[in-house]
Amino acid sequence: MSRDSESLSGSLQRREFIKASAMAAATAVAGGTSVALPILADESATGVDWQKAPCRFCGTGCHVQVGVQQGKVVAIAGDRNAEVNKGLLCVKGYHVGAALYGQDRLTKPLLRDGDSYREISWDEAIGTIADRIQAAPDRFAFYGSGQWTIPEGYAAQKFMKGGLSNNHIDPNARLCMASAVTGFLATYGVDEPAGCYDDLDACDVLIMWGNNPAEMHPVLFSRVIDRRSRGEKVTLIDIGTRRTRTTEACQHYLEMKGHGDLAIANGIAHLLIKNGTWSRKFVDSFCSFKAPDDANPNLHGKAISFDEYKVLLEPYTPEHVESLSGVPADQIRMLADLFGNPELKITSLWCMGMNQHTRGTAINTMVHGIHLLSGHFGTPGNAPTSLTGQPSACGTVREVGTLSHTLPGGMVVADAEHRKMAEDIWRVPAGRINETPGHHTVKMWESFCTPTSQGGDISTIWVQVTNPGQTLPNLNKLFNPKGDSKAGLEDKFLIVSDVYPTATTRLADLILPSAMWVEKNGMVGNSERRTQQWFKMVDPPGEARDDCWQTIAVAHELFKRGVDGMKDRDGQFLFEVRGADGAAVPIWEWEHYYDINVDEHLFEEYRKFTRFKHKDLAPYGEYVKARGLRWPVVETNGQWRETQFRFAEGFDPYVAAGKEIQFYHSSTHDDRAQIWFHPWIAPAEVPDKDYPLMLCTGRVLEHWHSGSMTRRIPELSRAMPGAYAELHPDDAAAYGLRNGDRINMESRRGSLMIPVWIDGRGKPPRGTVFVPFFDETLLINDLTLDAVDPFSKQPDYKKAAVRISKVPS
Amino acid sequence: MIAGLVAILDGHAAELTETISQISRIPGVVPGDINDSARRLPVMIDSPDPDSLEIITRRLQQIPGVAFVDVVFIHFEDESARIPETQSGKPTSL
Repeated sequence: MSRDSESLSGSLQRREFIKASAMAAATAVAGGTSVALPILADESATGVDWQKAPCRFCGTGCHVQVGVQQGKVVAIAGDRNAEVNKGLLCVKGYHVGAALYGQDRLTKPLLRDGDSYREISWDEAIGTIADRIQAAPDRFAFYGSGQWTIPEGYAAQKFMKGGLSNNHIDPNARLCMASAVTGFLATYGVDEPAGCYDDLDACDVLIMWGNNPAEMHPVLFSRVIDRRSRGEKVTLIDIGTRRTRTTEACQHYLEMKGHGDLAIANGIAHLLIKNGTWSRKFVDSFCSFKAPDDANPNLHGKAISFDEYKVLLEPYTPEHVESLSGVPADQIRMLADLFGNPELKITSLWCMGMNQHTRGTAINTMVHGIHLLSGHFGTPGNAPTSLTGQPSACGTVREVGTLSHTLPGGMVVADAEHRKMAEDIWRVPAGRINETPGHHTVKMWESFCTPTSQGGDISTIWVQVTNPGQTLPNLNKLFNPKGDSKAGLEDKFLIVSDVYPTATTRLADLILPSAMWVEKNGMVGNSERRTQQWFKMVDPPGEARDDCWQTIAVAHELFKRGVDGMKDRDGQFLFEVRGADGAAVPIWEWEHYYDINVDEHLFEEYRKFTRFKHKDLAPYGEYVKARGLRWPVVETNGQWRETQFRFAEGFDPYVAAGKEIQFYHSSTHDDRAQIWFHPWIAPAEVPDKDYPLMLCTGRVLEHWHSGSMTRRIPELSRAMPGAYAELHPDDAAAYGLRNGDRINMESRRGSLMIPVWIDGRGKPPRGTVFVPFFDETLLINDLTLDAVDPFSKQPDYKKAAVRISKVPS
Repeated sequence: MIAGLVAILDGHAAELTETISQISRIPGVVPGDINDSARRLPVMIDSPDPDSLEIITRRLQQIPGVAFVDVVFIHFEDESARIPETQSGKPTSL
């Protein structure tokens, strides 16, 4: 046999082996067997080294096995030991490895030089950032995301609040789940879901409130579909403003108008009381009632009695709810009958539909309220659960507390006792932490884009792991002001750390190349309180470096210059790390950053915060062994045990014996949750004769968020190359439009030329139009509204009035 | 590019054979043995490139009786070097 034919034969054998492995993997997962996958077990046969990591994309928190060969990721497998996904991945799994290898990865620091950029050294880049901060520390802001790993977010948090005494740090998660946070706080006195994904295996009814998990959280949706295919009876209900792929799998579709959810929730509560089907036992034992305090608007409102609650609900008859929401009265009755049946187990899921809402806090509390009022809470299958869109929106933003008003572990800057606890853990002088909350996202960017002379009090923003140049609402107002109002912005300076060029790097003065996913160590926290860990597996390209290192390097540069904020009480560097020999490790020098596990060091320090609100985390080493653990994780008899269901006796170790249910962080300090009444209120902007259509924006299956990773995957780009406007066929006919015609879409804030798609994947009702936001060449956020929820400060991307006209061909 | 998938089937028992038959007629697709009680069909796809894999997966999802398709295993060793850059967003000097 010639060498060529030997090589070909070897190659074919290898391919056959991989094919056999693919089939074996699928067979094992399909059958639920515990046989080890051959390709994962036999490194010697393939040369592939396999390690665990959570998926890079959404907040579901699927675990994958990552195959590395010769320093490169070559294969991905669902992790069968992972409870979240049990070996399954969604089709984005095809691309999670390839997302590392787009050829336009940023590999060098770049400094703006007129209309172009020049490559600079990391030393110059770090020095430039330190110059900007040192010149005006209180005019500096840090903008991150739910894609920050837990240690990255924690380092940024400590740098800003514990170092610079500056609370101008906020994440893009303000734009996607801030209303879920305020909803949990207003209801239970503490953030994050009580339930978990196990509820999907136990529920009889699954209600999706403005949520499209078939496309956005497919592995979770598949879990329920799988149950149904096995003959289990699961009723799926989709409450939405347009038909989606989720709708196709549901037995009931309730099509509502924008803000119809507020009326529907009140309608259900009205009928539960009228029919006597509310759970008197649950309510009497575990709940109180609240209503907004109009004279003094605040998150905790004013206490009301059950009778007052009942009176407030009286107008919300099914017929009145139908007039407000567009959902037929019989369907409101159907929902109320389901909630009124104590034998059924009901789980509610929601995501952006309820959160991107100018009454987001209100609707979040109201859905919790229906579950509490009906007693559908605290047992497996009975849970109101919000989902997140980013891998660590919960772990980093909500738990580490990278919001402008929070401290780690659920504490807040406005509370003196919380500040003291944080200062003690960080070992910084008393009074270091500023008591005034910083700017939330929308205000931060407005301040940055407003001339200093006109009150714009932010002059430098450092962006890490997000793309605000594409995702902020009302982009035109920020980055394309009319006339000469851009004058006066010469002193503003934008720093962007990212892995690929984006709409935001185009605006940047300094661009820093970052490592991503398995190019660095990491920890994240998913939607069900599960904290996950992975190790670095491959090197980042060129000079790309970890975001966490970038933060620490700037902190050390300021320390070197004698900036007091970068010193602790003993005058030591704020991020000092000592090795086993007791000597300080110079982690601010890239060549020494991986001499020690910086993630572990930061995590162990952060862990001290987590006991305050009973969000206890286990030692780092426990996460190395596990496919994630759901907090609170409490040590019992030498074992670290996670918690499936919070506030429920038998599951949650912090519930006292005999209590059954205990809301131990109740805002009324009596172990009770709050059932809220909120009135229906119209959206901030509604169609009128000038702008007769309602615009809703969102995501698509093929692209993750702003598309900065998935648009680099050719097959995804070919499958969904650009944004489009979905229209109802009757509206299209009225405007004389056919598929592919281009329209000019205008709101009061901007305009966009975009092709139309009629009878496409999603089907909006008459009078509405849907446009996805993934396409940086068609910025729909030029048109969106920047009105925010009064408590969460989250904008509404789902409702803006627009008009359209056909562009002549 | 080689992938292992699990197709969740939701048709009536009588239609199951036809669903699997349709799946097996897609070039490059090899169905495995179905677990009758779970109705989860393992599938192996051997495709010449990632684009074909995506197209095959879509076809699979559209076959009557297929409720959902999940991914289990992907090997893209030969393809990862071929991913081109996108045209947008690049700093102007580069």
